[in-house]
Amino acid sequence: MTMKALLRTVVLLGTSAVVVGALSCSRRGPQEGQLTICFAFQDLETEFWVAGHKAITETLRGKGIRVLERNANQDANRQLEQVRDAIAQDVDGIIIIPQDGESAVTIVGEANRAGIPIAVFNRPPSDRSKPALVVVADNEEIAEEAVTYMAKVARQKRRDRKWKPLIVVGDLGDRNAVARRQGFFNVIEKNPDLFETPIEVPSKWDPATTLANLEAALQANPDVDFLFTSSDFLYPQIRAVLEPLGKWKKIGEPGHVILGGLDGDSTAYKLMEEGYVDATGVQDLFFEAHAIMDALLDAIETGHRTPEKWIEDPGFALTQENMAERAKDMWGYRVLRGQ
Amino acid sequence: MHRSDNVTALAPTGRLKDAFLRRVLLSDSFVLFLAVVYFLVLWAFLPRLGSARNLSNLSSNIWPLFVLVIGQMFVLIVGGIDLSQTSIMAITSVCGALLMTSGLDPALFARNPLWGVLVSEQGGPLAGSIAAVPVGILVMLAIGALIGLANGLAVAKCRMPPFMVTLVSMFFFSGLAILITRSENVTNLPVAFLAIGQNYLGHVQAGRSTVGLVPYSFFAGVALAWAAWFILGRTIAGRWFYAVGMNRRAATASGIPTDRVIVCAYVISGFCAALGSVLYSSRLGAGRPTLGANVLLDIVGAAVIGGISLYGGKGKVRWAFYGVLFFVVLDSSLYMLNLRFYTVNIVKGAVILVAALLDVLRNRVRMGRTPTGPRVVV
Repeated sequence: MTMKALLRTVVLLGTSAVVVGALSCSRRGPQEGQLTICFAFQDLETEFWVAGHKAITETLRGKGIRVLERNANQDANRQLEQVRDAIAQDVDGIIIIPQDGESAVTIVGEANRAGIPIAVFNRPPSDRSKPALVVVADNEEIAEEAVTYMAKVARQKRRDRKWKPLIVVGDLGDRNAVARRQGFFNVIEKNPDLFETPIEVPSKWDPATTLANLEAALQANPDVDFLFTSSDFLYPQIRAVLEPLGKWKKIGEPGHVILGGLDGDSTAYKLMEEGYVDATGVQDLFFEAHAIMDALLDAIETGHRTPEKWIEDPGFALTQENMAERAKDMWGYRVLRGQ
Repeated sequence: MHRSDNVTALAPTGRLKDAFLRRVLLSDSFVLFLAVVYFLVLWAFLPRLGSARNLSNLSSNIWPLFVLVIGQMFVLIVGGIDLSQTSIMAITSVCGALLMTSGLDPALFARNPLWGVLVSEQGGPLAGSIAAVPVGILVMLAIGALIGLANGLAVAKCRMPPFMVTLVSMFFFSGLAILITRSENVTNLPVAFLAIGQNYLGHVQAGRSTVGLVPYSFFAGVALAWAAWFILGRTIAGRWFYAVGMNRRAATASGIPTDRVIVCAYVISGFCAALGSVLYSSRLGAGRPTLGANVLLDIVGAAVIGGISLYGGKGKVRWAFYGVLFFVVLDSSLYMLNLRFYTVNIVKGAVILVAALLDVLRNRVRMGRTPTGPRVVV
């Protein structure tokens, strides 16, 4: 490449940057009086987050609100920098799905200092020292409800030996994962005559980690016959491990592993419909998304800069027993049916 | 022959424009020039880019990354690469935090292998001590330097490829950080430690609140930069780094202790990674086993943009700073432009590619291999 060609390239790149900048500003700049909300999420790796992202961004844009989307790619430091950038743009409000509860505390503190109302979606801060709007499912209760049904199924199948339970644990830096694990153990501890000591398989909310750890756990404990996953998005990995071992069986077939999870995504619904999964805890995704948006917009409207409110999504357990009546309340069902 | 003499010599041949371009292109401040032009051009469209709050953000983002890039620069100069910087950040972050923390939740840490041995519900061994912060930081820096020493010995003495050695280190220490914390973040760190990453000097009013202009991390960055500049520019050892990177065999033949120089480069890199860990951990308020997991591209990207050669033998502290400055300004501006997140990644990748291309071209021009001009000897 000659110097002239290089000069042309540099000028072209510079001009392109300016044009992109100008176009972006003209296209995306806020109009007079238009609200701007930053939606900072940690990633969109599961159906739950994708559906939540869609519900929030589409609803806000539908109300004529300008939405600045920021994806931190699962990096807490990047998310902090992105939120600071958004604050520098004088956004009217912030909605975050934090990487974890600890980073949520730091980020909420940044927003508090700048006097910008902040809402935390589904993954709560690890402590309540800083005011924020938080919507979160009652994960412990929902998990307990789902596992209670699974235990009921286990008890109905009268047999001589105890059941060998296994839980796929989420990233315990996330309060949701801690609560789901607790809900599972509440049921196990209430039924000492029914269950052996559970096996815990860490997933870190990562499919590859889950696959590797679950394979190892089932090699060591081939007699596992009761399995609870802390998130429904890990069912493909669970199937990939159970199927070669001859343990991926429908309800009623010999060798069926009593199976349950939590989230309520479309995969869980399909597997329940096909008869592989016994129960799943359902978070009311659409309730959570709308509740957090309404709370934030209300705070902006009333000029409340550091609002504090914890909104709880009671959720419910969808089981093979109540499926006919309650499936329509499951967000995964509605996603699947295009509702 | 000096570079400016070459440029002057070319002018009478009717290539004034080329001479000017060469002067700009080969200037030590080329990337700074680009960064300033880029900032000024975009500022015209994005007034908030120059707001006090955004300048405060830029200032806060520059120094921790700069510290890491300085460390990487030493390794790049000797012709290596250190992929393990991110895992050094992770392991030093959790080790330092476990020593300093004033309380751990048994629900999260009771299954930790160090529970009851080194840590408990009351925190780590330095909990509540006046010496917690200095000792904690010293331990973090020492661990970083020791890992760097292990990397350096493997590369220099065992003649193992730097890519392989540091890749293995990256996996090993990332895994170890997760193992000793069971994936948990370590919180309840001393206020004095958090101040390092979160406090500023000099506050100005910005909208409804005030913002700080000079973060404490600035002082760490400047002190490290001065030390690096002194080593590279004012000592014989500094010349050895460049000599080893340009031609290791020739350096050995010249009597330079190449193995020791290489080991030193990795030790410095490990030390800088640990210092970066101090700055990032204090900023985020926790020891994190995943700290720095995504920062490697930023480190290498900023170094390449600054003009530090991936082939060794070339790099300066101010180039590192210019690279970091451009990278951070670019990052901030792309978000200010409100591009979609995938577009931001595409643009950043393209800029790093262009920077690498420019580096190749600058080398060619330096070596006088451009088709438009005579051979130039610098």
